[in-house]
Amino acid sequence: MISMTVQKILNGDRRTAARLIRDIDDGIPGTREILKAIHRHTGKAYVIGITGSPGVGKSTLVDQMIHGLRRSGKTVGVLAIDPTSPFSGGAILGDRIRMQRHSLDDGVFIRSLATRGQFGGLTQSTRSAIDVLDAMGKDYIIVETVGVGQDEVDIARSADTTVIVVVPGMGDHIQAIKAGIFEVGDIFVINKSDRPDAEKTLHDLRALFDIARKKLTGEGWEPPILMAEAASNRGIAELLDEIEKHRKSRKTLSHETVIHRKQAVARDELIDMIKCRLFQEALDHITSSPEFKIYLDCVTEGTKDPYSACDELLSAKLCFIGDEVNRKPDLQEYLVAQK
Amino acid sequence: MNNGRKIKVLVSVIGLDGHFTGAQIVSRFLMDAGMEVVYLGIYQTPEMIVRAAIDESVDVIGISSHASNYGQIGLLIDLMKKNDLVDVPLICGGTIPKGEAEALIKRGVSKIFPPQSTSESIIEYIVSCARG
Amino acid sequence: MKRETDYGYEIKPVYTPEDIADLDYTKDVGDPGAYPYVRGYHPNGYRNRVWTRRMTAGIGSSKRTNEVLKRYREMGQTQGILVICDRPNAMPIDADHPMGRREAGVLGWHGASLLEFEELMDGIPLTGQSITLLGSSAMSCMRLAYVVALAEKRGMDFREVHGSVTEYPFCSTCGQTDHMPLDLLIKLWMDSSEFIVRNKIHMRSGILSQHFQESGGNNAQALAMEIAQLKELLGLLVNERGLDFDDLSLLPYELVSVGSRFFEEIAKVRALRRMYAKMAKETFKAKTDKACQLLISVHTSGRTMTYQQPLNNIARCAIQTLAGAIAGCTAIDNACLDNAHAEPSAFAARMSLNTQHIVSDETGVTDVTDPLAGSYFVEYLTSRIEEEAYKILKQIEDQGGMTAAVKKGYIHNMMEESARKRQKEIESGERLVVGVNELAIPPEEDDEIPIESVVASDSEEIAERMENWKRKRNIPLLKEAIARVYDDAKKGRNFNLMPSIIEAVKAYGTAGEITGVIRMANGYHYDPLEMIECPFAL
Ligand SMILES: Nc1nc2c(ncn2[C@@H]2O[C@H](COP(=O)(O)OP(=O)(O)OP(=O)(O)O)[C@@H](O)[C@H]2O)c(=O)[nH]1
Ligand SMILES: [Mg+2]
Repeated sequence: MISMTVQKILNGDRRTAARLIRDIDDGIPGTREILKAIHRHTGKAYVIGITGSPGVGKSTLVDQMIHGLRRSGKTVGVLAIDPTSPFSGGAILGDRIRMQRHSLDDGVFIRSLATRGQFGGLTQSTRSAIDVLDAMGKDYIIVETVGVGQDEVDIARSADTTVIVVVPGMGDHIQAIKAGIFEVGDIFVINKSDRPDAEKTLHDLRALFDIARKKLTGEGWEPPILMAEAASNRGIAELLDEIEKHRKSRKTLSHETVIHRKQAVARDELIDMIKCRLFQEALDHITSSPEFKIYLDCVTEGTKDPYSACDELLSAKLCFIGDEVNRKPDLQEYLVAQK
Repeated sequence: MNNGRKIKVLVSVIGLDGHFTGAQIVSRFLMDAGMEVVYLGIYQTPEMIVRAAIDESVDVIGISSHASNYGQIGLLIDLMKKNDLVDVPLICGGTIPKGEAEALIKRGVSKIFPPQSTSESIIEYIVSCARG
Repeated sequence: MKRETDYGYEIKPVYTPEDIADLDYTKDVGDPGAYPYVRGYHPNGYRNRVWTRRMTAGIGSSKRTNEVLKRYREMGQTQGILVICDRPNAMPIDADHPMGRREAGVLGWHGASLLEFEELMDGIPLTGQSITLLGSSAMSCMRLAYVVALAEKRGMDFREVHGSVTEYPFCSTCGQTDHMPLDLLIKLWMDSSEFIVRNKIHMRSGILSQHFQESGGNNAQALAMEIAQLKELLGLLVNERGLDFDDLSLLPYELVSVGSRFFEEIAKVRALRRMYAKMAKETFKAKTDKACQLLISVHTSGRTMTYQQPLNNIARCAIQTLAGAIAGCTAIDNACLDNAHAEPSAFAARMSLNTQHIVSDETGVTDVTDPLAGSYFVEYLTSRIEEEAYKILKQIEDQGGMTAAVKKGYIHNMMEESARKRQKEIESGERLVVGVNELAIPPEEDDEIPIESVVASDSEEIAERMENWKRKRNIPLLKEAIARVYDDAKKGRNFNLMPSIIEAVKAYGTAGEITGVIRMANGYHYDPLEMIECPFAL
């Protein structure tokens, strides 16, 4: 069953891939096994992250990039991520509208995802979805996220090239991106450059750059700032060129840098995965226990304060918290044996 | 954590019908009811809708129709059958005359909501068929 | 139940002279025929001329629509015709486009070429009645060219034709999407308008609040929208095309949507006349009286027509027609009782026309001008809605005017917000709609009404005919005319394309072809849906 699903995905079967991404997103058990099986078929696709504030034209830009990449014969996968409403848990996924002209192109697979606001869950399911598209054999995978929140920054960080989109006339907005994702940007695009103040924004960005650059170690890549007008397909060819240049520049990095980076990425990924799994399992473990119910009643009735309840619950249910860490001696032996 | 599935709905206007207000209002209240809505907007051909439904792996397709182009809805349902989307219910809303509505139901449309249907009744129906 | 106007003003149980104490009759209201025209433009009101009582036509092939128009004439509709276009026309694409094939003639008349206009008007006079073609802004120049070309063919002066065949460019934000980019729509609208004004043609251009309101906007918003649109568009003609505002006075007409909130609807129209007059005088420094008067037609509201118990809609239609008549207008067309079901059937159309005649001939409403003037409540509501509308207008202007507000999504959000609010009010029972949330009956007991069915094969027939006919045209002549349109379209926003469009229309160039090359010259794809390529080597 698993091998059949894997084979279908490797053959590029969009229905199977679509279903799998859905199951991953919904946290259906069993998807993990498939992900394990397809993982060794991944790593070939080039991942481009597109991020920026709401409405700056990211989706329009992605649409034009698909157009450009298809013209040079490349296949493209897109993951378009929109925020989940914190009130209802629902979402309107509206990025796809801007890319619908490619919907009948067999070389393009577009998928919308909602952030769902889970603890690390977005990064997790997005990475898994990237794996699926990668295994399908897409040459490029473009991931669109709204540039707010840590999750989005993490996703941007895991892309091979991260493009940050801004628009003219939003001074504060540039300040805002400086704080979070400015450092992760490999290429900056000033979209809607048909608007007044485009030049001024360019100037502001450059100034910010001079400050930020000092903090960053020189790695031989100076992030370029491009002007674009996605709605009229202006500046897209240049953007694709810069992405290609960035891709090449990564190839000329020294062996150590490459290893170092790979390690950093692997570390991030692994930690995220552990975090997510840990959080979910631990929480389930605690909240489904009879003790939880008892403590909950105590806190509700006021016979116990929530601080003590938390501490006591954790040390009771998770042996390594609060008490001496109860390391299993055989685990290390086991690992050594594995090597 | 959320172990249960979220309901995912595709909402679109079909053909050259330009009336998008209804579809947007529906999308909005489905979101408020906790669903994930892939909103396709206007000028979608049956082919484009089917492809999006497959790629997005949705549970339900909702079409808002205000331009008498039921022919397009007929084409859509045929195409859904051809593409093995029989387990995805197709629901429609808008100005569809009774006779046309009956014909569409016969052809395979799951449910047609006449104008002035309440958001509650639409949500309820989607929940019942997506879960069931 | 809510006792509020649809824009949220809470209504008091009684109104007294105190409520209108600020109102200065001569200055703020005035007699009929006197500035600021709250009471209308003619001292004699309908005694001069009763409003044009007409119905919308347009379905299937040109020949079929022509038959409907002739039938309406026989029913007694002789003051004017009103034809609505189909969806391909609004793109515009031709019937033989892959998407046009499926929908040509479905929702209206497929008027993509002079040939179709000739068929539409076969045996129907071009003059002596008003000719109104509605349903898309992108077609404005084309339709104006049809009129010029057909008048010439019939050996008459096109200046004698009256009515309206052109339409404002903002309809695309109001649930009636044209697929042309807004800037191009604005340019083409300016071209047609400039042509009309410079040639002194008796043709109006629809600058409407109806689409906005029918898509969900409320009364005060609709009023603000109308003024904002007029200000922006007339301003463009003055500033960019160098036209004199007083010469523009005969250009715009408004189609106002009138619903069932009787007093509010009347107040809205009265306020509109005052707001327009003030704008003309204060903003545009109008010199003549005429230039302070906005021609107003009424469309009874399709949105209020229920699917449930459709015969109830006859009552709604009558109330709305009476409101429109009391408010004072030039023409009324009705949404029919089957509006929520299908295109008007002959039965529904007859009911609508009869309703208008019952109102005009049996109620005595035509005897006296602006009969509700002086009513504490109506005068108060008139001032109140105006005040509300000015607030919204200011917000639109703070966005940078109408075009900017559209581009920023402001207008669209306002409309959607208001539509959602209304839906909620009906669902919660705060607003009652008979047959829907009050006195509802089971669907199987509902009224049976005749339904005008759309025949799917009609579209295919229209498409095939066009395909064959296109090949039989004088191709060299056509190519030359199309090339000229293309070249002219590259000459910038203020180079008027009407002359070259007229030549191309006479050479039987189609809507898809002519607007296609105009799109290309402006950097867009020939086909708005990007499915077909331009057939001309340019
Ligand atoms: N003037 C101008 N408008 C543009 C340009 N690019 C995109 N837009 C418009 O900006 C609006 C938002 O575009 P999207 O592509 O949906 O923006 P987004 O960043 O993906 O938006 P979210 O996904 O909602 O955050 C649309 O109306 C576009 O047509 C441009 O270069 N110039
Ligand atoms: Mg987007």
